[in-house]
Amino acid sequence: MSPAPQPANGRVVLPANCTIHGARALQAHLLEQLELPGPCEIDGGSVQHVDTAGVQLVLAFALDCLERNLQYVWKSRSAALEEAIRVLNVGALLEYPA
Amino acid sequence: MTLDLAQFHETFFAESNEALDSMEAALLKLSAGDADLELVNTIFRVAHSIKGGSATFGFSDVAAFTHTLETLLDQLRGGKRHVDSGLVDTLLRSGDMMREMLAATQAKQPIDKERVAALHAEIELIMSSSGAGGATPVKASAPAPVVLEEGDARSGWRIHFVPGPKLLRNGNDPLRLLRELATLAPCEVRADAKWVPPLRELDPEECRLSWRVEVNGAVEESALKSVFDWVDGECDLNLEAFGPAAGVPVATPVPAVVPVAAPVAAPVIAAAPAMPAEEPAAPAPKAAPAAAPSAPQAAAGDGGSIRVSIEKVDELLNSVGELVITQSVLSQLAAPLEGRDAEELRSALGQLERHMRALQESVMRVRMLPISVVFNRFPRLVRDLGQKLGKKIELRLTGDSTELDKTVLEKIGDPLVHLVRNAMDHGIEMPEARIAAGKSAHGVIELNAYHKGGNVVVEVIDDGGGLKRDKILAKARERGLVGPDEELSEERVYNLIFAPGFSTADVVSDVSGRGVGMDVVKRNINELGGHVQIHSTPGRGSVVRIRLPLTLAILDGQLARVGSEVYVVPIVSIVETIQARQEQVSSIAARAQVFRLRDDYLPIVRLYDLFGIEPQHTDLLDGLLMIVEADGKRVGLFVDELMSQQQVVIKSLETNFRPVLGLAGATMLGDGRVALILDIPGVITRFQSRETQRDPAQRAA
Repeated sequence: MSPAPQPANGRVVLPANCTIHGARALQAHLLEQLELPGPCEIDGGSVQHVDTAGVQLVLAFALDCLERNLQYVWKSRSAALEEAIRVLNVGALLEYPA
Repeated sequence: MTLDLAQFHETFFAESNEALDSMEAALLKLSAGDADLELVNTIFRVAHSIKGGSATFGFSDVAAFTHTLETLLDQLRGGKRHVDSGLVDTLLRSGDMMREMLAATQAKQPIDKERVAALHAEIELIMSSSGAGGATPVKASAPAPVVLEEGDARSGWRIHFVPGPKLLRNGNDPLRLLRELATLAPCEVRADAKWVPPLRELDPEECRLSWRVEVNGAVEESALKSVFDWVDGECDLNLEAFGPAAGVPVATPVPAVVPVAAPVAAPVIAAAPAMPAEEPAAPAPKAAPAAAPSAPQAAAGDGGSIRVSIEKVDELLNSVGELVITQSVLSQLAAPLEGRDAEELRSALGQLERHMRALQESVMRVRMLPISVVFNRFPRLVRDLGQKLGKKIELRLTGDSTELDKTVLEKIGDPLVHLVRNAMDHGIEMPEARIAAGKSAHGVIELNAYHKGGNVVVEVIDDGGGLKRDKILAKARERGLVGPDEELSEERVYNLIFAPGFSTADVVSDVSGRGVGMDVVKRNINELGGHVQIHSTPGRGSVVRIRLPLTLAILDGQLARVGSEVYVVPIVSIVETIQARQEQVSSIAARAQVFRLRDDYLPIVRLYDLFGIEPQHTDLLDGLLMIVEADGKRVGLFVDELMSQQQVVIKSLETNFRPVLGLAGATMLGDGRVALILDIPGVITRFQSRETQRDPAQRAA
């Protein structure tokens, strides 16, 4: 039986421009969140532009969370982000296993 | 690290323009009624690539316009629209517009948005129409259609795509590539994240994901490859066909293509992340694993190419030229030596000379491009101008793979355009007149290119009415170019059309008839070291034959000595060389002398006098007269002695010293001496200018 979701301590807000152009800043933001204890919430609702570099960063973050047993939950995803995740077919990798 | 996409702009513009050339060629074939799917796909791919590139680089105007065009082409591709001449015309104008927009973007100039909007609206209007229109429907050509019907969905491709380390930095995005793939056929995509390192170690500008894609549909290999055109050399790509389209059973896929791939750095992180990567449901095809990308392999039948700046090639050519001179100096030094060692030295030097020649030719070939680069503009020109003039004209191109030096090619384009426009306007008759003359209503213009005697010959042939000798002569007499009783050979009469401002056209049109152009044609060709001749047969048509040097870097020259100086006379300018007899020479006024050569009287140009040097001979009977010709003018060059003929490497005087009227450049001879290369048109101009200056003084005396 999977553990009940805990209230999020951290919150990752993906920027509107989630592309290679802002990749270093997003990486820094994600690394900060990794250092926080407890579950975190990812908000991708305001992403307007996204590319592979942006998705790959979020994916690396998600994989690190799994390795550290840090729970995360998706709060929302914009249509642009959903489309990119679908085309790159990384949806399953981005979900925290139930 | 900041990603500077600007560094790729020039390549994008160059490749887009080349792609637009292919699009235009395909469109012109469509207009001939051959509206097959392969042609439509070619056109679509060009629009698609330019749209993708423009969007990547942020050229939003180009991307938006091309997107609309692409939608129209997609209708055509999907069989929802028929091909007719109106549509082809719109597509041709759209290609022109894209070229114009790209040129403006490249030059950082504003785009003419009004015209873009007008054409955009026209395309929208076409798209909103039903598209039936009783015209040529798109038909499938011999190659397999892009996507087979549902029942054939077992055919397809398995793609293993491993982005290289620079792919993202170079402005490419797998997301865009996968979207493009999905436009070709339904795709099953499987991502592989096993090489994605921990976040802290991840270089965010390097793609560590890879994908396996199953494209379900009999898509052409070229269509798949075109999706990856922009990442050629930046990824490891493996394509495998499966199903009936591959010609092999589905169960035993075989590699169909191994495209050129740059080596991809081996993943640094050996340990797999905690989360296992998504594994394919079916056994993976026998492709190279992502962990150990294979070494670059040449694609079957694809030699590959690289872009190198022309400056680098010229530097190389220049160095080779210096080596040729050094080798020549060594040969001269070795010539007087005696003994067995000397014999062996000369033998080795002979071998060196052969290798040098081979090296020089190889390097010069790098600068060579097929004349199709120039010829390709003519189908469109002939189509558009034919419509404008109301004439039916067929264009035939032969020898378009004949290669010429890049500089020669760049400079021959405009003269050829003038000649073809003239042939269409003045040569080819209106259809009714042709039928009345017992000819086919369709006129024919041929553009031929071929190698002959170390030169390239380009011919513009028309089957029109031919040049009107009497009309040309009458016009020339009227303008005082020919004396009232002077009789001229056919060749000289036809050459009159190259005189500045000469025209026999009754009506001046915006196509031709102002007499501007043919003189420029001849001048441009002469400046290239070329020669132009016209042959014409009344009622049958004309042939304009242009002879061009293969390259401007070397020249076939005749060495001539004047005093202690050696001059190089371009062989292409020499008509003949003779020893004068007293009775052939006449004096005019105090100093000027003319020489009678058969029916002509030619001015005598004493090179020693022209260039102010000490001659060996001043008496015409002691030296030689080289009859040279330029711009239809002949003169006799008086020199002391003829020496050997040889190919010389041209060194620019302009770059190394300053321009000198009458000299085309300099070269170094085998004995280390510098010889000046004569520019015959310049020599004649310099001579005439001196004679004109002397005349008033003589008159005053």
